[in-house]
Amino acid sequence: MGVIDHRFSDNIITTNLDTVLAWARKNSLWPMGFGLACCAIEMIAAGGSRFDIARFGSEVFRASPRQADLMIVAGTVTKKMAPVLRRLYDQMPEPKWVISMGSCSNAGGPFPTYSVLQGVDKVVPVDVYVSGCPPRPEALLYGLMRLQDKIARENTVFRKERWIPAGGTEPIIVEDRG
Amino acid sequence: MLKDFLRSFFLVDLAKGLWVTLKYTPQPAFTFQYPSERRPVAPRFRGVLRLQVEPDSGAQVCIVCDQCAKACPDDLISLGGHREPGMKLKALDYFDFNLSRCSFCGLCSEVCPTKPVKALIMSEDYELGTYSRDAQILRIDDMYDGLPITQYTK
Repeated sequence: MGVIDHRFSDNIITTNLDTVLAWARKNSLWPMGFGLACCAIEMIAAGGSRFDIARFGSEVFRASPRQADLMIVAGTVTKKMAPVLRRLYDQMPEPKWVISMGSCSNAGGPFPTYSVLQGVDKVVPVDVYVSGCPPRPEALLYGLMRLQDKIARENTVFRKERWIPAGGTEPIIVEDRG
Repeated sequence: MLKDFLRSFFLVDLAKGLWVTLKYTPQPAFTFQYPSERRPVAPRFRGVLRLQVEPDSGAQVCIVCDQCAKACPDDLISLGGHREPGMKLKALDYFDFNLSRCSFCGLCSEVCPTKPVKALIMSEDYELGTYSRDAQILRIDDMYDGLPITQYTK
């Protein structure tokens, strides 16, 4: 996608193409289950038939990062695991997103110790933080829907870049990416 | 020998397996349609923290006793108030709650001493998704109203 990324001005073709690309991406997010602790159990429950993450097009939990779009970091990230997590993130093909699931991966949780990474955003850029200890499957689905909302507002070929500032929910359009 | 041959010739084991599948087919769908229907939470469910007001007058219930901040094992709550001249009750100025580390243990609401209305409860809200870590620090307005839930439209 590097050939057409952010290279065109807004006209009827590029904006429609952006819409189609965003629609396709947000409805086929293939997660890489990064189950590290008890949150993984809730993530697996969300994948089961009761909550059925397949309704959002995300049922294919890939074992390989090369086939995944979305990394759900579910659980305590220790400092021993952090380089591995970063490597797996680097191995995922663009475009890629990260959901941080649960208090431990959000901020370290109840472990402010020498061995636990204080927030997974220290090593990978996180798109959606889902709070809970662990979050129930509905909360994960809610986080996934928030991510889908975010992807729907992203643009691919359009030169101007939209981004959501810290703490906000509405996107700001950066005038020219250059 | 002959019995085994007939068994495999007439696909008895396959039919048995398919019969099990067929038995489960007519039952209604098991899936819970989350965004359109919400599962009722258990009575003891512990969701995100919520400050309560008096149900009739809307007056402040919290007496700024700081017990919740002391009870929190991770020091996530910080609150303060001031005393108006002539008023017996302290006015709550700020109540900052760091949701990002919270493990929803409920100790803070357990020690809350106000009666009959508890000032601090674990509410039933569990839909907590934010785009940034800053948004996970709840200020006093969020503590009264809760984080806004974005309705998903599709």
